This record gives sequence, structure tokens and C-alpha cells, in this order.
Amino acid sequence: MSIFDQAQYPVMRRLARNAGFLLIPAVLGSPGVHASITTSPPLPAFTDRFPADIPVKGKVTDSNGQQLPGVSVVVKGSKRGALTRIDGSFELSAPPDAILIFTYLGYKSQEVKISSTSQLRVQLETDDKKLSEVVVVGYGIQERRNLTSSVSTINTSETKNIPVAGFDAQLQGKAAGLQINSNTGVPGDGVFVRVRGTTSINAGNDPLYVVDGVFVNNTSLQSVSTGGRATSPIADINPGDIASIEVLKDASATAIYGSRGANGVVIVTTKRGNYSQKTKVNVNASHGIATAPELWDLTTGAEHAALINEYWINTGIDNPASNQTFANRPFRPVSEGGRGLPEEQQTYDRLGKLFRTGQLSNYDLSLNGGSDKTKFYIGAGYTKQEANIRPVFFERASLKLNIDHRISDRVQVGVSNGITRSYRNQARAGDGPQGGLLQSALHTPTYLPETNPDGTPARWAGFDNLQVLLDNYDVNTVSLRYIGNLYAEAEILPDLKFRTSWSADYNNYDESEYWNDKTQLGAAPTYGLATSSITQNSTWINEQTLSYRKQLGQGHTLGAVAGNTIQQNTLKRTFAQGTGFPNNSYEDISSASNRTSGQTWTQATLASFFSRLDYNYNSKYYLEVSFRADGSSRFGSNHRWGYFPAVGAAWRLKEEQFLKDVRLFSDLKLRASYGITGNQSGINDFAARGLWTGASGYPDSETGGDKPATAPLQLSNPDLRWEKTKQANIGLDAVFLDGRLTLEVNVYSKKTSDVLLQLPVPSNTGYSTYYSNAGEISNKGYEVAVRSENIKRSNFTWNTSFSISGNRNRVEKLPVPITQYNRDWIRMQQGYAMYSFWMYKQLSVDPKTGNAIFEDVNGDGSITVADRQIVGNALPKFFGGINNSFSWKSFDASVQFNFQYGNKVLNLNRFFGEGGGTRDANRILFASQLKRWQKEGDLTDVPRLTKAGNNYTLEQNSRFIENGSFLRLQALTVGYTLPKALTSRWNIDALRIYFAGNNLWLLTKYTGPDPEANVTASQTVQGIDLGTPPQSRMLQFGLNVTL
Amino acid sequence: MKLFIRILPIVYLLTSCSDFLDVAPKDAVSDETTINDKASAQTAVRGIYRQLGDDDYYGALFQTIGYLSGDNIQWTGSQSVIQQFISHAVKGDNANVATVWSGIYATINRANQVIDKLPAVNDATLSADEKNALLGEAYFIRALAYFDLARTWGGVQLVVKAATNISDTKGLQRSTLEQTYAQVLKDLQTAEPLLPETTNRYRATRKTVWALLARFYLYQGNWTQAEASASRLITDSRYRLIKPYSAFFANNVVATEESILEIAYSANNTNAHRGYWQPPANNGTRQWAPNDAFIALINNPLIGGNRSSAVAITNQGLWYGNFYYRSPATDPAYILRIAEQYLIRAEARAHQGNLEGALQDLDAVRDRAGLTGSTAVSANEILLAIEHERRLEFAFEPHRWYDLVRTKRAAAVLGLTDEKRYVMPIPAIELSADDALEPNPGY
Repeated sequence: MSIFDQAQYPVMRRLARNAGFLLIPAVLGSPGVHASITTSPPLPAFTDRFPADIPVKGKVTDSNGQQLPGVSVVVKGSKRGALTRIDGSFELSAPPDAILIFTYLGYKSQEVKISSTSQLRVQLETDDKKLSEVVVVGYGIQERRNLTSSVSTINTSETKNIPVAGFDAQLQGKAAGLQINSNTGVPGDGVFVRVRGTTSINAGNDPLYVVDGVFVNNTSLQSVSTGGRATSPIADINPGDIASIEVLKDASATAIYGSRGANGVVIVTTKRGNYSQKTKVNVNASHGIATAPELWDLTTGAEHAALINEYWINTGIDNPASNQTFANRPFRPVSEGGRGLPEEQQTYDRLGKLFRTGQLSNYDLSLNGGSDKTKFYIGAGYTKQEANIRPVFFERASLKLNIDHRISDRVQVGVSNGITRSYRNQARAGDGPQGGLLQSALHTPTYLPETNPDGTPARWAGFDNLQVLLDNYDVNTVSLRYIGNLYAEAEILPDLKFRTSWSADYNNYDESEYWNDKTQLGAAPTYGLATSSITQNSTWINEQTLSYRKQLGQGHTLGAVAGNTIQQNTLKRTFAQGTGFPNNSYEDISSASNRTSGQTWTQATLASFFSRLDYNYNSKYYLEVSFRADGSSRFGSNHRWGYFPAVGAAWRLKEEQFLKDVRLFSDLKLRASYGITGNQSGINDFAARGLWTGASGYPDSETGGDKPATAPLQLSNPDLRWEKTKQANIGLDAVFLDGRLTLEVNVYSKKTSDVLLQLPVPSNTGYSTYYSNAGEISNKGYEVAVRSENIKRSNFTWNTSFSISGNRNRVEKLPVPITQYNRDWIRMQQGYAMYSFWMYKQLSVDPKTGNAIFEDVNGDGSITVADRQIVGNALPKFFGGINNSFSWKSFDASVQFNFQYGNKVLNLNRFFGEGGGTRDANRILFASQLKRWQKEGDLTDVPRLTKAGNNYTLEQNSRFIENGSFLRLQALTVGYTLPKALTSRWNIDALRIYFAGNNLWLLTKYTGPDPEANVTASQTVQGIDLGTPPQSRMLQFGLNVTL
Repeated sequence: MKLFIRILPIVYLLTSCSDFLDVAPKDAVSDETTINDKASAQTAVRGIYRQLGDDDYYGALFQTIGYLSGDNIQWTGSQSVIQQFISHAVKGDNANVATVWSGIYATINRANQVIDKLPAVNDATLSADEKNALLGEAYFIRALAYFDLARTWGGVQLVVKAATNISDTKGLQRSTLEQTYAQVLKDLQTAEPLLPETTNRYRATRKTVWALLARFYLYQGNWTQAEASASRLITDSRYRLIKPYSAFFANNVVATEESILEIAYSANNTNAHRGYWQPPANNGTRQWAPNDAFIALINNPLIGGNRSSAVAITNQGLWYGNFYYRSPATDPAYILRIAEQYLIRAEARAHQGNLEGALQDLDAVRDRAGLTGSTAVSANEILLAIEHERRLEFAFEPHRWYDLVRTKRAAAVLGLTDEKRYVMPIPAIELSADDALEPNPGY
């Protein structure tokens, strides 16, 4: 067992219950104990037996009298020892005056002098569980109390039943400093994840995900359009196989990941078996439903028509030349050539056709166990999650196989394998008219009928006919994913361990679309449109580490890790498109009369060396330094290598004399760290090079067709280099009242410089952007996490955990403001936060004229682009979660609330729905449009309906920026475990039935259905709500069985 | 020994890292090795045309500035930015204006690359004539690009060398309108002798230069030169007004005798223009459409004549422009047509007092549209008739706005008296990226 084996640590966590394998107290740095017990209990004989030794027998129990197997019993000052048997008993030989040390993970160690009776009764007291737990850190594991860094551990038992596809979405509200927003109700779509703020503009902002030591790809391979959103590669991992998740946050924890650590690191460890354990079977089955929350409030057909008439006549008054009068208003009697009077209009409900009650099902089956030399975990999972809109669903089948084998006492090998097939039935649930499902349902005016007079499906406003879409949608993706790791480790010298591992992350992502001739994209004269895109992403990683840990006597513990890793990532895509199909029965591109195709290939490599030294004195003073050097193929040869150092220190005040006996504190620790991490993800693999590309071709003459062409692509930047984030962190860990109350507080300051960005440059250079290092971004914040055991009785417990985090993001330096998204609604600008909205600020609506009054910032008397200003941003001031869990006899329950405060949302659905009638039959009118100014004296913020002036033609109107703060009842679970007496008759160890509800209640002032919505997967855009379905309300029943 | 073997890979890596970290793209070349022989010169020139026909330039968006800002089109889609052109209230943050600006400069950059690098190419298989022709094409397109910049924004920064460094154009000031037009003329005069006097409707030739010169002189009010240049095309039997009006665009035809220069598209390289015009039923978004006044004109057999074939109506009763309609979307982008040369010469002749000649040219265009001769008599009447004719003839091409500004008729026709609005705003994004760039007054 090595200290750097991430995959192994759950075993350690459970080790106490599974007597057998060697143990680690020394490795973990506990003072005074350095047992190296390697055999099964009891140890029959010792070679260093003294003649005076006497046999010692005894029994170890916990404070409740429960027998404790696997407790390490060591004779102080020697290497002799034993482990307790299954009934807690032990026997060994020791000198008559010897002192025995009893250690057991999760319990306080105890020293007992051998008494004359020689029959010892030892009761071990539980230690605070949180502080003594083992956490996974970069290239190693540590006991929480020994950490100098800031690491959050997620209790996956609380999260794994949340019916979302990826484990990332499950973590919302679960860890301080981790901001997570689910931007859409489409299962399996990407999730907004930030660890301690947004550090970059064009390089990645997502944390690094490490699964069983594999740096997994987290960039969506999607190429078909789903209206701006993109799928999540994380959804390929079955949450049911996950044993634990750690989030590394500060530089001391992340700098060992160097160039990849700036956005935090999420370490995922999957389940493994245990040596010498009877095979256990676990079944988890659940079924449930997903429904939409309260949706948009729309005008009726009659209301819509009346508003259009009003808009028409007003525009005519404002602009007589337009010849718009009452006489020729659009909704006049049919006999006069109009569309009929407003009151004659019907109302058609499209939302009701689109939204549905989706079915959710999830089945996980796992087996784990092991012999004395081999252990295994087999996990099979199937999940299907239907979205709340038809016909979207996500389906995943996964198989996990983890095996470890001991070749000898010193050598162990093992594998982790995860194979997944994720199938997605997709739809354009976002921006874009053609094929746009939600836009077609939401943005088509309600008065427009679904069919033409001749009975054929009607298309309106640039949108597809909803029913046609629902009947003919055929966009789907199959993602085949393998994530695996093969390792061997050996103790080459006492205290020195070597490990080598090979990892692979392979993803075959196969997308196809077929738009038959009933849909807009495939309609005549296109006669069917099909696309096929196959993307292969393959990563291999090789890694070697040497680790050393030594007790140097007199309380000095020293540990060291050094290693190297090399990695290569290749992304390859082949795509084809066909149009002109004979008829709708032919769907393969081979049948298309027009076929086009393409291919792309890109590759990047990374070579790294890293090391870490940690030292502690008497578990009181801790010092840790780490260093990593990374070489990346992405940068110019001048700046290929980056160097990332970090230092962390901790002081456990509890170990000082003045606190040792203060009962209030069970533990008290101060931490501080500082370090530099880097970022290179997200940028183009060849960003530093000056390149020409094969452009689209052009003919030489009227005959002969396109001939090849070339064109300049980008200018070189030989100075392109790493983005660097310096982070300082100060933390306090306190445990009170024998572990009943735990408090963790962190304050941090991050400063990112040399920000990698596509800097806008004057177009007269022939280029509009240029990859460069420009700009600085800061993130400053705090995190508070509290856990308390409010009531702890034998048949009733009540625990509460609470976290709150605040982060202030600021673009400190940016040579040129950078606008984002259509109509540059979002702007990054020096002195403001990322995701700031850049608008014309509507101050009021003039009660006299009904005209919107905008702030004339420069006072020049007219509203020009100079009057646009930042009016808030999409980032919250603070966010967090609160969880209460209860157990009463055989019942258990938990309630999780999440909250977020201070974030703004641009409600683009309302922007279109309050278009003042200027878009006439092209867009819906929301019921809120009825509040428009009509006559002198009206007080409203909805201006008079007209096409003239700025009332409705300024698209960047601050009126559509809304408060997106919310409080959400994220999860409510109630479970009941059947009495053991009953289940044991069926040979069942445990049987629990549960009900789980998610997203049951939402408190917000936001007028759309979901304040977390965001239209695009682009990392530079957040808080724009357009055309995405809200997150579902979900209810599930489930069953857990352990055999 | 065991330890040594295990550490060996690390040592090995230390020495081989630089190779491992050298990854070159498969589909792009370093910009030092781009134009160095005949084939690479040809591909680079084709690349200029493709950019000329890009969506941001003649593919669609540049053209829209020319017709949306006139009086024929109404906004019928979702993007109210379109209404800014129609209301003549374009703001500096108008995304289309910014896109067109960068698209035109990207075209100039591609031309500059050829102009800079081609003269030094030494390839025995590249004859002097071929080399000159390729060079001439680059000069011609650069002239066209600066002409379009000038008539849209006024004087602009003149970049006549390809950037090799991102700060190459730093500090460059805007030239005056006169200087910008002088650059256009200089490039055209450089291109003319380099190019062969052949007919190629997809590529620039000497004849294409004459056609653009005719337009250039028209904008300058140099009537004699305008007439002389236009005559060279009109008298060339390879160009003629083909009947009826729709004959040059309907039924998927390309490169008809009408065309002097058009940008070609293919299934692989489509033209997005149709999508903005066509209604949803035809797979478009109908972002804008002919307005009622224009529909009345073009459907009037005495005014529009057979040009009414350029519009169509949906079964829901909505009119739409049907000039760009193909599937796959291979509608050509018409840059220079013979009809324009007739109308240029008509206008130049009218200004020079040759009213009979002017009417002859005007009626040639009217005749093709199935109309009888113009009833205009005086020079002013004829000029007005030409203006009306151009409104209909080029309704979906970038002329109407530029014509009304050029002839100082925007105030009378559009009611637009603020002359600052006769040019588009310099894009806000360019102003923020370039300290040396001055905004247009009033924006």
C-alpha cells in the first residue's frame, strides 16, 4: 500500500472493519505508532521474543461494548504486534512491563500497560470522524487532520440518488467554494462548475477531473447543433460506481497538478473490493417521474391580436409615412382583408404539447469482495432519464471492473476499467429557429393555428411546426467511452515505494441527424438533410512516482513524492452531410444526391515532473512544499515550460499545552498556503503558430468547379505562454464538543495573470482576434462549512451541514473590452466581473409619452453606443447549501436546500415576448406585455407599443436583466430500512426503500421558470435564458438491497 | 539495479522531451511557406475570391447594408438590429456593421498577401502572363474592397501590406475619402495592364476592371470616363441584357451573359443569402422582406414589368424576395452586371447632355424588363427615371442606399436630412481595439 495510491484509499477508510492487510498509521503520520503488521491475526510467534515475555490476551470493544475486529495492537518500542480477531480478541507475547498501543482508524489511540491479570479489557473511544478521515490529495492520501491545504470531501451517499446524469451536477450545494449551476433541464447536458471563481477567458475554467488517476476529458465532443448547449462528457461516468469525491481548492493542494490546477481539481475514486471479504451484492433500483415546474405566462390569441393592432396604429401615428392606420390594422375583419378581429382569434397551447411527464429509471448492481490476494469490484449500471420535453432523453449503460492483486508482500498490481455507452436523443433546446423545439413551442404566437386551412402543418415565424418536429425529430448521439488504468507498485526499499501506471481515456462519439422533408431543415428544395459526425478523442497517460515516508524519531515525520507524467491527446473528427434524398425512407447519406464531407485532426502533448515534500513535527507543526514543471506542445518554443511551486503550513493548536486539556476543542488547526498554478486547457492546440489553412475552394472559370484554395488563418505568437494563477489561502479547522460540531473556514485570494485570450485586434490587420497573454483576473472569497450532530441518541439522530461561499470576481486588466454572444449582451471589461451585462439602462417609462427613458451617460442628448453600461453580472455574491438529515429507528430522512444570491439573469425569452408587437406574427407576446403604457399617467416599465424610437428597437435594454437569486428545495429523501429480523430470513443483509424528491420548490423573483438557465455552453457566457427547458421536478421511489 | 531500471524511463524522458512536445498540425502550414510556387500562388488567389464571397461580404451582409438602408425592404424577423438600417438609426454596436467591416479587411489581407509575396516567386512553370494575371486579380479585389469601404464608411485606414506582426497597423490613421478613392483608382490602374483582356465571369479580367472603373467614375461624377468605361463593356458582344429579367438568375442558371463578375458557390461552399430572404416554408427565416410600397411597384406591369419574378408570395399571403432561392444554396453573388453598365452610361450621358443616348441606354434596360420606352424628356426627368429604374433593377443588390447618398437624394427620398447618417458608424469593437481609429461624427 502506498500513500499515493488514490484508487486504494476507500479500502483504508474501511480497513478497520476488514482486518487483514498491512496498515498505515505511520504512513499517515500518526505519531508514536509505526506498526508494520503484515499477517492475519493473531501473530503466532515473534523472532525477537525475549525470554521474559509473557502471553497477553484481551478484548477490544468500542464504548458501546461492540467488539472491534482489526484493531492494531503494538508493543510500544518494538515492531511486535497483532490485529484483533473478528470478536475483538487478541493475543500476543510481551515483556511484563510493556505498554501496548491500540490504534484503530476512526478511534482515539490508547496506551495500556500490561497488568498482572494479563486479560485486558480495552475500550476505544471514537475520534472525530471528520478529522480522522482519509482524504485523497494529488498523488497521495492524507489524514484530514494532517492537511495543510483546502480540500472538500463530498459524501456521495447523499448525492448519488439525485437523478441527473453526471456526478458534477449532483454536487451542487455540497461543498463550499464549489459553484454549480444546471443550465438546462436536458439530462446529460453540460453543467456550469467553478471552483473558487472564474479565472480565465479563453482557456478552460472547469476543474480538472481525475478519475482513478486518469485525467479525463471534460470537453464536450458535440458537433451537431442543439441550439448552443453541449453534452457533458462527465455524464459517461456512472455515479453509482463512485466511492468518494474530493475537491482540491487551494494552491497547496492543486499545484502538484501544475498547469492543470488553476481551476481546482476534482478527484473521483471508484469503488473497489476488499481483501478477504465475502462477496457482497448490492442492488439499487429506482423509478420516478420528471415534470416541468411552472412555465411562462403567455397572452391569449385575442390579447396578442389587440396588442398588435395597438402597436400598428401607434407606429402609424409616430411615422405617418408608414401608412399604418386603424383602417388597415392587421386584425380587422376578414371581410376587409384582415386577419379577423382580435376577439375572433383562437388560442393554441403549444407548451402543453411539448412538455410531458418524463420517466426516470435507474438500476445499479454491484459485486465486491476478495480473497487474501485478489479483490474485485464489478458494477453494472443502467439509467434512463427522460427530459420534461419530448422527445429528449438520456440513457446510459455502464460496466465497471476494478481488480487488485497482491503478487507478494511488496508488489501489488491492479486495473480500473470503466466502459460506458451513453445514448442521447437530442433536440435543439436553445437558440435557433430551425428545428428549435422549445422556441417553436414558446415563441410562436398563440393565435396562430397549427395547421393551414388545407390541413397541412403550418410553419410560422421561421420556426418549424411543433407537431412535425415532435413526430420527426431524429437527432441522436452514441458515446462509447473507456476510462481505464493499469498500475503496478512495489516497495523497493523499506519506506520507499515505486509506482508506475498507464491510463487511457478513449471516447468514440458518434452523432447523426436526419431531417426529413417535413422539417424545415430538410424541406424542399433540400429534400432531406442528414449529417454524420464521428469524433474520436484519445488520451494516454504514463506516470511514475516514487514516494517515501519516514518516521525520523522524536516526532519528526517526513514524506516525499517525486514523479513524472507524460500525456498525449488526439482529437479526430470525420463528418459527412447529405441533402437531396429520394424520399423519407432513405436515411443514409449514401442515398443523398449531394454529399459533402470533412475531416479534422489535432493533437497536444504534455510532459511533466513533479515533487512534494511534507514534514510534520509531533502532528503539531506541518510544512509542505510542492513543485511541478510542465512542458506543453501548445506553446511557442520560447515558453514551452512552466514551473509551478507551492507551499503550505499548518499549526494544530490543539496539540499545544494550552489547549490540550480544553475540552471545548476537540481539534483546532490554522492553515496557510500560497502557490502558483497554471492553465493551458481550452486553447487551440496550435494557437501559438502562424498558420495558413486550406480554405474553401473557388473556381478558375465558369466550367470546372471549385479548385483548392488557401488562406491565412492566424498570426504566430512565439511568446504565447501559460496562464498563471497565484493563490493564497488561510484556513481554520475547528472541532468542538467531541466532534459534535465542526467548522471549516477559508479565505482566499486568487490572481490570474497572462490570461490566455483571443484578444480582439483591429480588423485592418486581416484578423479579428489574436491568441495572446493579456489581462488579469482576480477572485477573492470566503468559504464557511459547518457540520453539527444536533441530536445523537441511540434511536434518533439529527445532523446538519451548512456551507456558504462568497466570491468576488473582477477583470483587473484587459487591454480591450471583449463582447460576447449575439448582440454583445455580455461584455468583459476592466474593472468589472466576468459575465457582466452591457446594456442601455432603461430608467423609466415617461408617464406622459409612454416612451422608455434611457440613461444618457455622456449627456450628449442622444442615446448612442457610448451610453451603454455594465448593469450587473451573472455571478452570485454568495451561494451555498444546507442539509438536515435525520434517523429515527429504521427511518432516515434528509432535506437539502440550495441557495444563490446576487446573480443577474438576462431573460431573453421575455425580451422576445415583450417585443412590443414589433415582431408581429414572428414572436409570442408574454402576458407581461399587457402592462404596457397606454395612456397618459400610466405608471409602468413596459413602454408604449411602437416600432419608432428606442422603445423596442434597442436590443440591449436593461429592463430584461432580472434578479436571479433563489432558494431551492434541491432534495428531499425519506427512507425506511426493513427490520433485520425480517430481512435476514430472506438472507438479505439490508433492505431499504426510499422516496426521493428533487427540485420540489423554488423561491425566486426571477420571472422565467429557472434562474439557473443558460442558453449556451460557451464558457464566456452565463446567465442568458433563451429557449432552454427548466430543470425538472423529480419524484422517485427506490430500493437498496445488500446481500 | 532494479531501482535503476525503474528510474530509467524518467531519465529517458528528460532527454527526449523536446521531440515529444513538437506536434505539428496536419491541415495547415506555417505562414512563411505559403506562396512559393505556381500552385500555391493559384490557391492563394482563389482564397481571396472565397473571402470576397463570404457571408460577411458579398455573400450577404455587405449587400444588406446597400439594400436594407434604402426604401424597399421591411424587417420581418427576430433581429431588431435590422430595423436600425431601415430606420437609419444604426448604432456603433450594430453587429452586422462590425462583421462587414472585418470581412472586407480580411479580403484586403488576402489580396495583400498575394501582392506582397507573388512577385518574388520564382517558378519556371509560372509564366509571366499567368503571374501578372494573378497579381492583377489581387489588385482588382483590393480596389473593390477599398471602394466598398469608402462608400460605406468614408475614408478608412489604408493597409497595403500584409500584416506579419499583429502590431503592424498600430497607429495607422484614417485616410480621407479622397485618398481612399485615390487608392482604389491606383489599384485599378495597376491591375488593368496586368490582366488579360478575356471574358471570365468568375474571375477578374481587364474587362472587369473597366466595369468597376465605370462605377468608380460614376461615383466621382467623372461622366466622360464613366461613359467611356461602360461603353467598353456594352460594345463587347460577350455581354448582353438577356431576356426576360429572370433569365440571369432563375432556373439555377449561373454565369450568364448578363454577368460581368459574380461569385460562384457550390454545394460545399454555399451562399447564406437565401436563408435571410426565403420564408420558413422554403427553409429560410425571412429576416426581411420587400415592403408594401415596393411590392406595389414591382408588381405594377408598367413599372416593374417582368421583374416581378424576383418576388413571390407564400400560401399565407406573405411576400418575400425570391432572387436568392436555390438549394443547395448556390445562388451567385452578383457584383457587376451589364445592366448596371447601361444605367451608368445613361446617367453619364444625361449629365453630359446626351439625352437621346441616355434614353437609349435606359430603354435597353426597360425593354429587357418588358417595359415600353421611358417618357422622360428633360435631363432631370431622365435622371429621375434612371434612379427609379435602378431602384427596381437592383432591388436586392447593394445599390439603392449608395445611389441615394451618391446623388444626394437621400434627404428627398428617405427624409434623411442628417448627413452624418450617410455613412455607417465605425464599429464600436474596432474603436476599442484601435486607438488610432477615429469614429465617424454623430455616432
